[in-house]
Amino acid sequence: MKTSKWLIAFLALVMVLAACGGDTGSTDTTAGATDTTSAPDTPDTTDAPDTTEPAPSGDCDGEQVLLRTFTGAVGQELEMAQNQADRYMAENPCITIESIATPDFVEDRLGTYLQLFEAQSPEGDIYQIDVIWPGDLAEHFVDLNEYGAADVTGDHFPAIIENNTVDGKLIGIPWFTDAGLLYYRTDLLEKYNLEPPTTWDELEASAQTIQDGERADGNQDFWGYVWQGNAYEGLTCDALEWIASAGGGSIIEPDGTITINNQNAIDIVDQAAGWVGTISPPGVTAYGEEDARGVWQAGNAAFMRNWPYAYSLGNSDDSAVKGLFDVSPLPGKTAGQSAATLGGWQLAVSKYSEHPEEAAAYALFLASEPEQKYRAVTGSLNPTIMSLYEDADVLEAAPFFGSLLDVFTAAVARPSTITSPKYSDTSALFFNAVHSVLTGDADAEDAFLELELDYTDSFPDFTVGTP
Amino acid sequence: MTAATEAKPQKLSKAGSLLDNEQRLAYWLLAPTFVILFAVAFYPLGSVFYSSFTNDTFASAVQTDFVGLENYSNLLSVTLKELPPEIDEATGQQVIDADTGEPEFVSSIQVLPRDPRRYREVGTFGFFGKQYVFGATDADFIESIYDTTRFSAVTLFFETLLGLGIAIALNTAFPGRGLMRAAMLVPWAILTAVSSRIWEWMFIDTRAGFFNIIFQKLGFTDGQTPFLADSATQLPAAIIIDVWKTTPFMALLLLAGLAIIPSELYEAAEVDGANKWKQFTAVTLPLLKPTLAVALVFRTLDALRVFDLFQIVFAQKKYSMASFAYYQLIDSQALGYSSAASVIIFFIITAFAILYIRFLGVTSD
Repeated sequence: MKTSKWLIAFLALVMVLAACGGDTGSTDTTAGATDTTSAPDTPDTTDAPDTTEPAPSGDCDGEQVLLRTFTGAVGQELEMAQNQADRYMAENPCITIESIATPDFVEDRLGTYLQLFEAQSPEGDIYQIDVIWPGDLAEHFVDLNEYGAADVTGDHFPAIIENNTVDGKLIGIPWFTDAGLLYYRTDLLEKYNLEPPTTWDELEASAQTIQDGERADGNQDFWGYVWQGNAYEGLTCDALEWIASAGGGSIIEPDGTITINNQNAIDIVDQAAGWVGTISPPGVTAYGEEDARGVWQAGNAAFMRNWPYAYSLGNSDDSAVKGLFDVSPLPGKTAGQSAATLGGWQLAVSKYSEHPEEAAAYALFLASEPEQKYRAVTGSLNPTIMSLYEDADVLEAAPFFGSLLDVFTAAVARPSTITSPKYSDTSALFFNAVHSVLTGDADAEDAFLELELDYTDSFPDFTVGTP
Repeated sequence: MTAATEAKPQKLSKAGSLLDNEQRLAYWLLAPTFVILFAVAFYPLGSVFYSSFTNDTFASAVQTDFVGLENYSNLLSVTLKELPPEIDEATGQQVIDADTGEPEFVSSIQVLPRDPRRYREVGTFGFFGKQYVFGATDADFIESIYDTTRFSAVTLFFETLLGLGIAIALNTAFPGRGLMRAAMLVPWAILTAVSSRIWEWMFIDTRAGFFNIIFQKLGFTDGQTPFLADSATQLPAAIIIDVWKTTPFMALLLLAGLAIIPSELYEAAEVDGANKWKQFTAVTLPLLKPTLAVALVFRTLDALRVFDLFQIVFAQKKYSMASFAYYQLIDSQALGYSSAASVIIFFIITAFAILYIRFLGVTSD
């Protein structure tokens, strides 16, 4: 009984507030208390719901729009996304943005998204999606061209726009692009009188020399080369780079030829397996990007394969390698055969969102030139807008954007378009096969023969061929 | 007499109708429970059964077809083949590995059948000089069953042993016992997601990790052991994490069982001249058996469906049965296939439950 009395009092208070038009000032408590008994007689109760929630700002006709944005949290990503959200909210008082961190491992991130899609949930409005996902996930996103993206697509790299366009629909607006780079310690190369390696053999030799020397000097935690060897999408990227840079093709070619089972691919993966426990830690078979960066940024590695984001973090104040490193293209089997896997992330708006219009506007804001510039300067994330590669501020923060432009424009794509919607499976088969070679459970010859058979089973229309 | 005998059935039927009424009322009162049980247990279970016979795709509008027992035969088909020796074409002799001195055999992939269904290697083993390969159409799933069973057996053994020890220690009266009992529960109270991450860091592959620094200081290793990546140490690491986390739960259950054993029994045993060990085997164990059985059932079923620990610590490096089903669903979007795996897990766990109830005499009351 007591609670119901309070409930009536509360309802009455709400109605009184509604009647006063949200400008009740300090008298509202007393008004509510005195009007308790007369409240049920208030004639216009039906109007109450429309005006019960006082608007926080006079500019908003209607209520606050909540946009839930799923963003990455690798390196400074989440922090930057929150800063950008704050700025956007300051300019758009009717919008509330929630930036939600998603798991670092791509598989787990995909899992989070798929559960929301299966439920057709409106709980997510904007999704940060990987460059390999547009084909697999197209059915869950709106066509951004219908929300004004068509005007800006011309500014972005055409290859990425093409990748993100499925059946004529723009599934995601490019946010940043990625390509694998070789990070090397300038001070150590100088100390041991070495040049940045251009072939895998050179890398192996230099890594061994530096590792032996540094260990002899007392740093027993030092390793020559760190990279991503865990059984996950990152290994697909790393291994594709090895194989493509050794003339071993790109797993499944864009025309649907299964080329993985060839001698060049077998040799280079066997060579990489030889690194585990010699120039790379035995535990590299459990490393993701952040694990490799951890070893590198503590000053315990001579070389690292990673994405551009590690550049600005490596130069931050708490980094042991600040100012002591540079980046170059990854090595190849022979000099100049280098290959970098195309990575990068897009912003897509869910078809199940309740506010697709506002969500698309925010996605386009995040992908706009000034915002991409902010992320390029602060987080060394590669812009997808071509003109930013000539921007003085960007080039000052990340000089390699200019010098390595070719690496970014000529990056090798994973076979996500041709294998869609079965890319996740295709990639899992590949990285599990490579992982079994790295851990010594299989040799590359058997593993790739098995993989070829797997792909022939999964894709009966594809042919087996040579790269 | 006749009046009495006549009255009796009348009375009975009256009592009977009252009983009927009460029963009917009981059913009505229980009805909401059954409805809820149906909605939250039988309906989902039934739909998993149903989709296990289809090729349903998760989070997609792709057409679903009925595939019968296809998923099950893909998950469960196994084969055993003998590996012929690798013959050197020049000499006609079996090739001997130059490094190890072991005779070599043809690689499994050449021997395992490919049509109509492909078999993959689960493992090879030698037997009386011959080499065999054990193959399965889904090697990952068969391995996950094998690993999960081993994991459950070993964790259960240690958890019971340690839990019993802790329970007996905490059952004796000593100052600060209440505090000790509360402190004991801390590992159990920490979320598995959190404790798995903590352990993951302790097992890290460099000397930043607790175990690597300890082992290196003691001179066992060079401090670079990848506990979570090396297939030889993965399962032991998982077992250590689980034993640390779950022993308190076991101890708590057994402590409750110990608390109800009357102290007179020990006094009587003392009078009869039984020593401590005799008291333990003749009094404590038999009276603890029902509690122990319930605790074992709880823990076995829990260990067999272990998911969070494996998913967090190993991701796709090593599967438990449940994390296999998860990755089939989430990563491959194979809802039908994942459902079939879940149904198999369900039956495996049911089989264990029945075995326990048979052999340990757990009764329903």
